[in-house]
Amino acid sequence: MNKSTLLPLGAALVLAAFAGGSVKDLGPLLPKDVAGWKAAGPDTVYDRKTIFDYLDGGAEVYLAFDLREVFVRKFKNAAGTEIALDIYDCGSPAEAFGAFTCDRQDPDAGIGQESEYGPGLLRFRHGRYFVSITTAGDEKKAEVALRELGKAVVPHLGPAGEPPALLRALPESGLKKDRTCFFHSVINLNNLLFVASENILNLELRTDCILAEYDAGGVEPARLLLVRYPDESQAQIAEQSFAKGYRPPDSGASSKTQTLARRRSNFLAIVFTAPSRDFAERLLVAVKYPQE
Amino acid sequence: MKHALTRRDFLRGTTLAVLGTTIGLPRLAPAQTAKSRVVLIRHPEALDENSQFNEKIIQQMLDEAVMKLVDAPDPIAAFRRLVKPEDVVGIKSNVWSYLPTPPEAEKAIKRRLLDAGVKEEAIGLDYHTVRTNPLFVKSTALINVRPLRTHYLAGMSGCIKNYIMFDVSQPAHHPDSCADLGSLFLLPQVKGKTRLNVLCVLTPQYYGRGPHNFNRRYVWNYKGLIVGRDPVAVDTIGLHLLMAKRRKELGPAQEVPPVPKHIQIADTKYGIGTSDPAKIELIKLGWAEGILI
Repeated sequence: MNKSTLLPLGAALVLAAFAGGSVKDLGPLLPKDVAGWKAAGPDTVYDRKTIFDYLDGGAEVYLAFDLREVFVRKFKNAAGTEIALDIYDCGSPAEAFGAFTCDRQDPDAGIGQESEYGPGLLRFRHGRYFVSITTAGDEKKAEVALRELGKAVVPHLGPAGEPPALLRALPESGLKKDRTCFFHSVINLNNLLFVASENILNLELRTDCILAEYDAGGVEPARLLLVRYPDESQAQIAEQSFAKGYRPPDSGASSKTQTLARRRSNFLAIVFTAPSRDFAERLLVAVKYPQE
Repeated sequence: MKHALTRRDFLRGTTLAVLGTTIGLPRLAPAQTAKSRVVLIRHPEALDENSQFNEKIIQQMLDEAVMKLVDAPDPIAAFRRLVKPEDVVGIKSNVWSYLPTPPEAEKAIKRRLLDAGVKEEAIGLDYHTVRTNPLFVKSTALINVRPLRTHYLAGMSGCIKNYIMFDVSQPAHHPDSCADLGSLFLLPQVKGKTRLNVLCVLTPQYYGRGPHNFNRRYVWNYKGLIVGRDPVAVDTIGLHLLMAKRRKELGPAQEVPPVPKHIQIADTKYGIGTSDPAKIELIKLGWAEGILI
């Protein structure tokens, strides 16, 4: 196993090195005792290769972003219930925004730049870091510790950072900002909205994608997927591939909705689950394409 | 371009036809003519009021399910149709920390193997080291037991995926939504040895959150076991259960866990079982409340 066990470093050295340094430098700065939970076992840092040792089956979801390293500290209380603090260095604030937004569902927790808390799971982003604090034990008993730990981590994560500029392309009317996601890969798309079993949009690490939900006047929102390809030819190929490979649902409520795609230059915009073709058309027309 | 499976295909259970006509690969085993029997058994007391597993009830559920599976009059006779006293039997379990195979299910299987005449020293239980475990290396029979849960890449972790530790590299199976997991059943250490698949749906997980893909909110007390000799048919029923639960809790847009195509490909490319609902005989026993499928 290629993971490294951390040793305490001098605080001054850590502070000096931290601005652009490794997540291991965070170790001495972070609490080891919070609300009855104490650090248990050595801290661990994983990189893009060793992350598989830690995330059983989920590593690719984070490798689909510009993940650099993960800092992990485990805590236990007297009853042996574990809390896992994971700090993901995503390389940039935009990538951290992506890692956070691809799994966002719970109410705001007021921690870091954007956050959410649901039973047993605190997630937030700050600067170039995405942070997950979890327990698989009694969620109610752990809630105070999860929140306090999150608040204690934020001051050590460096400056805040901007979300992806591509977000500015989204039409604002009806936009559900807390249901807006940024990603690159088909792994993330299909975890948000199942489109097809194959990668019919040819998504890869160099494609920038926004998936946003819009109030469509009913129970099911309309969804706008905006993809920026590296160049126009790749967008053209993806447009053709989508037209050939996508088949909308033909049963259930989704079967009564509309899917519509439009390409402009190296951008491909697709509206899914729109209540009408007119709704989809209006949403596509309102996209504010960046000047490339 | 090969034809992509869509949500519609998973909903209809027509993936066999789609893949069969588009992947263009030969079957590695003869087409089956008889239906694959799968038994779903549930019991309201499989978990107690504190969500602790009830060993006695789980033994009873396993017994009834296997008896029905092989049409045997009692549990010992049923297991004797699956294993011989001279067999060396590896029980491939699962130890994922958040949702491991319940020890009560492991014990129930081992108890009946002993009752069927298999020697205790010829029964092994393992998770991560099956590839090098001496007993598994010389095994003549395998029993496959694990819980049902969703998975970020494969869509679903079931009996097919449970054999991933038999290969040298696990990440090597991750590309394309773990499409080729069915190949695990053709590894020399595994091929032709699986006598029973037990997919524990006592507390299945229908959705995953966070880096560890686990949160107790998405685990429910279904109190069942899905049992069969065909791992593909067992997982097909498991997938239908997951989809039914996801549709109910998450809505139609998230009904299909992304992307469980390895189940169909285990059928159409590797020929290790059937994923076609029309070729699966599903027998439901026991508690029916909230059965979903």
